[in-house]
Amino acid sequence: MKYSFSWYKKKDPWIFLLPTLLGLFVFRLGPIIGSFLLSFTDWDIIKKPNFIGLENYIELFNNPSFIEVLSNTLLFAFMYVIGVTVIGLFLAVLLNRNFKGISFFRSAFYTPVVTSAVAVGIIWSWILSPNYGVLNLMLLKLGINPPYWLGDTSIALFTVASVQVWKMAGYYMIVFLAGLQGIPRSLLEAAHIDGASPRRSFFTITLPLLSPTTFFVVSIAIIDSFKNFELIYAMTKGGPQNATNTLVYDVFLNAFVYYRMGYASTVAYILLALVAGFSLLNFTLKKHWVNYQY
Amino acid sequence: MKKEYKYLTLILIALLLSVSFISASGTQEEQSGETVLQYWSWDPEAKESNEALILEFEAANPGITVELTTLEPKEYWTKIRIMANQKKLPDVFNLSSGYLEEWASNDLLLNLDSYIENDLDQSKYYMSLFDAGKDTAGKGSYFAAPYALVTTNLFYNMDAFDEAGIAYPDKNWTWDDFRNAAIALTKDKNNDGVIDQWGYWFYGRYAHVESWVYSNNGHLLDRKNMSFDPDAQAMEALRFLTDLVLVDKAAPPKKEMSAFRQQDVFPQAAAAMFVDGSWNIANNRTVAGDNFRWGIAEIPVGPSGDGTITYGWPDYVALSPTGENSDAAWKFAKFVSGEGLSLDMYLAGKIPSYRSLTESEEFLEKDMQPYNKEVLIDQAGETMRTSFTLGWGEWRGYGAAETLGFNGVIDGIIDGEFSFEDGMEKADKNINTVLDRLYR
Repeated sequence: MKYSFSWYKKKDPWIFLLPTLLGLFVFRLGPIIGSFLLSFTDWDIIKKPNFIGLENYIELFNNPSFIEVLSNTLLFAFMYVIGVTVIGLFLAVLLNRNFKGISFFRSAFYTPVVTSAVAVGIIWSWILSPNYGVLNLMLLKLGINPPYWLGDTSIALFTVASVQVWKMAGYYMIVFLAGLQGIPRSLLEAAHIDGASPRRSFFTITLPLLSPTTFFVVSIAIIDSFKNFELIYAMTKGGPQNATNTLVYDVFLNAFVYYRMGYASTVAYILLALVAGFSLLNFTLKKHWVNYQY
Repeated sequence: MKKEYKYLTLILIALLLSVSFISASGTQEEQSGETVLQYWSWDPEAKESNEALILEFEAANPGITVELTTLEPKEYWTKIRIMANQKKLPDVFNLSSGYLEEWASNDLLLNLDSYIENDLDQSKYYMSLFDAGKDTAGKGSYFAAPYALVTTNLFYNMDAFDEAGIAYPDKNWTWDDFRNAAIALTKDKNNDGVIDQWGYWFYGRYAHVESWVYSNNGHLLDRKNMSFDPDAQAMEALRFLTDLVLVDKAAPPKKEMSAFRQQDVFPQAAAAMFVDGSWNIANNRTVAGDNFRWGIAEIPVGPSGDGTITYGWPDYVALSPTGENSDAAWKFAKFVSGEGLSLDMYLAGKIPSYRSLTESEEFLEKDMQPYNKEVLIDQAGETMRTSFTLGWGEWRGYGAAETLGFNGVIDGIIDGEFSFEDGMEKADKNINTVLDRLYR
């Protein structure tokens, strides 16, 4: 049977694509290009922007607190990516079996993902409270002198990153679960018959075959690690002493508290360069460790 | 496919027609001789009261219609800045003390000198609030009409004072009286090594710190050169405050209180004294309820102070300089900052600039805590001093930036992150970098 496509015109698909393209240009590409241009101005929203060349970039790199903010961002990203990957995988392996109540546990671990970050921040602030918090009371019972989780500059970033890991690990658990369930059982059964221990099977069969999922998880987690605004806002507001101030929080402060839109755009572009750089690195290294074949 | 194009064309025409109909209806309203004023408010809780106020105003002023736009405070500033940028400011809008200088220096506010001099019964208002606005704007003119004042007060737990046998604070209280009380009120009630009731609670927050600086007649800023340069009285106040934590152990380091909302430490009885804005009266009532009796007092007078200066700042209504109906806008601004208001539109602790409201029996709320609200009336007539400048939120560390700036420096000192001297050196460098950028 022959179909006739005589009604088809080359421009027809564009009509259907138009709303999406419009949205993309107006709400995504437009602001991206706009903020790049703004990064060369001193715009404060009130006045007309003045072109100031590279002044914002020069100020940024000469600002001692920027180096601190940058290193906080990288450290947070490192802790987050490692944390969600390892814990997400651990939870997925734990729940990749059938037993009574499995759905309850899967839901329970996923619940923090869909909980408001502000609510999570407030609850964890109570848990981590120096004198009234559950965690410190337990540590005191064990004879351990507890730290100021959110008040000590040396551990505040680690604390916030850990809470973010706790919140998001369930999401990566679901991704890993999907990957685990795609691994043919026959391979694991053959290894078992050949006498491989569960641990050996995991490291020599499961983990290599899971590498495409791990690659996806790491890629998403890297991008996700830079989106830490809500929790920092709710728990520490960038403090104490700039210890938890990250690039995304700094963008917010400069744009919507100090109204330095030009400078905020500059910080945003540094953030963009970072995310792009890490993603590129990940894709470059991909061929060395990702295995798509059984 | 031609059919589809026809439908698309019809939809587009319908859209265009509806848009032009909407705009035409707007122009018809203006053509009818009606003066339409735009009023922007930042207080969603007062929306209904504002609507009632507008109805009352319109009834008394036929020919003037007021259109109210109410925004959440966190959205308000970004949106109104965009309106300013587009030269489309509303005729009348709320303005805070913190932005008064910036807006006046950018010619975004109508000069109100002639209105205030010729069309305002000044005896009906606390003119000190108008003058505070004149000082803050820094151009020797009035650019905004105040409708409410907030001051800073010492909140004290009367039950804790009674238990410790200490007389309540009054206008004659000195820093030594305060310090001794704070030490005596700091208690580990169950002897477990953890303080259950601190004598005092503060951190680097503007209202917690500047109130002491001004009570000692100090200045954080050299206004002539627009630089951060605390004078000897200011340094004395900063040292006195930080020593309460580091030496007297009568107040906690900030990190000790990370689980509390700062305004809840006092009403939850974790501290017996606290200094902050008078608006905390409302929060204390909500959180503390009838758990204990509490009162308010002025900030104890420092060794170099004379008790005539209050750290307080008004909230204002301002007028667009480009509005076409300035006279009508002023008429409404006068109404919305004075005679049109009623006490139920004020958060407890906010002080109306309109004398008859503040000096009424209802304002004192004798059946509610604190039982001595007349303290606020005394303060309303005093000289106001503030540290507002361009970029104040940035160098002071305010709101989402409150762990940074000068706020962060004071926190760092009381948390033992660095010494007082190092902290002040850090503040000097960072704050003057911001002020240099904005003033030079």
